[in-house]
Amino acid sequence: MRIRLERTGGFAGMRREVALDTETLPSDEARKLQEMVNAAGFFNLPEKFPLPERGADYFVYRLAIEAEGKKHTVEISEPAATPELRSLFQTLMKLGK
Amino acid sequence: MCRNKIQNIRISNVGRKAGKKPVIERIPFQCIVPPHMLKEIAKRGDPKQRELALKHLMISERIRGRREAFGEFYVATSSGAKCLNVFDAKNGQELPGVQVQDPANSTDEAVKEAFGGADATYDMYHDVFERTSIDDKGMCINSTVHYEEKYDNAFWDGRQMVYGDGDGKLFNRFTISIDVIGHELTHGVTEHEAGLAYSDQSGALNESMSDVFGSLVKQRALNQTAAGADWLIGEGLLTSNVNGKALRSMKEPGTAYDDPVLGKDPQPAHMRDYQKLSLSEDNGGVHINSGIPNRAFCITAMEIGGYSWEKAGKIWYITLRDRLRSRSNFQDAANKTYQVAGVMYGSGSKEQLAVKKGWSTVGITVKTK
Repeated sequence: MRIRLERTGGFAGMRREVALDTETLPSDEARKLQEMVNAAGFFNLPEKFPLPERGADYFVYRLAIEAEGKKHTVEISEPAATPELRSLFQTLMKLGK
Repeated sequence: MCRNKIQNIRISNVGRKAGKKPVIERIPFQCIVPPHMLKEIAKRGDPKQRELALKHLMISERIRGRREAFGEFYVATSSGAKCLNVFDAKNGQELPGVQVQDPANSTDEAVKEAFGGADATYDMYHDVFERTSIDDKGMCINSTVHYEEKYDNAFWDGRQMVYGDGDGKLFNRFTISIDVIGHELTHGVTEHEAGLAYSDQSGALNESMSDVFGSLVKQRALNQTAAGADWLIGEGLLTSNVNGKALRSMKEPGTAYDDPVLGKDPQPAHMRDYQKLSLSEDNGGVHINSGIPNRAFCITAMEIGGYSWEKAGKIWYITLRDRLRSRSNFQDAANKTYQVAGVMYGSGSKEQLAVKKGWSTVGITVKTK
């Protein structure tokens, strides 16, 4: 599973990127990521979400995942994301550091 | 005869809509001193008269704006009580979290800073701009600290302010810099007033308004003049591991940091470097292109001299409150701040020329007609 996460916005307005291939990760970490991707229902999410009507300084994410011949990209701002998707973002950002 | 305690008069349309019958009194329009007279007094009166005339001019501008919006208007007295609450998310996602008792005297630095920053911001809006809280109706200002774990952000969720602790490696806690707090609270003010749409140029203008008033809260807390201020946003927020002094520089956009991990401050300082980005990139670069109007404000304030909140701040505030709309762009902001400066300080005044210079320095020519 190849994953690429881009995070922009937030108060700081800094761009952060994480790119990884689960093949290169220890098997337990790879399995955990696979479970999180499944839990977030990632491949069934729409590609784009409308901008929140209220609020400011939230993070904006673009997540692209390629697995088993499927490729999907989702663009979403933090307030629109489910807790499962947010957990996935957090885990990926930590792996990138 | 106009009432002297004009700051206690509050316009309420909400209560009327809700069918409530609060303490409401109607005042006739002719009670307001005509703006052209106020303008004359503002220009020619002695210092005390000028200050009073400017105050009334601000109020009458406001009433005209509301009258246009609602057709008729009612005036209600406000309770006037300051209401500031701090909550602790205890590193979770639930908002607002657990309320902290006596936040002013907390031993938790983040709690104390969130309270103190909200207090200073409330006071600036109240004492300088005669605004009672975020909605100008005295709503409680709620802040949550310790949001999630090592969360590298602060945001306004449409109802309240939220602060993360930072990861400790690159970012310190987000309450550390008082202008961050003024910035977040101003997002609430903007939502209640101009309602600047949070994408592309109107979004960058929205961001800039938050930086402008955030910086003014800091300058006022430190008693700094425009010349003495550092014009930095988020000073102290980056740890010593990072090569940078702050997150943004209003005076010199693009120079706040240059670091191997975080990259270089991407803010443009001139329209020629405006970055047209997709919505999936920071809503079209709202935190990036804000450097342009930020610098226009900084130059205006430096040109006028003295305390930035006294004149430049008032021009920007009246513009935000009464003249900008959801899709206003930089050019609109330039034209409107120029117009407002003319109304407040006179056509061709030093203040109005300073506004013109501020915008022309960043590549925007004010249109006078």
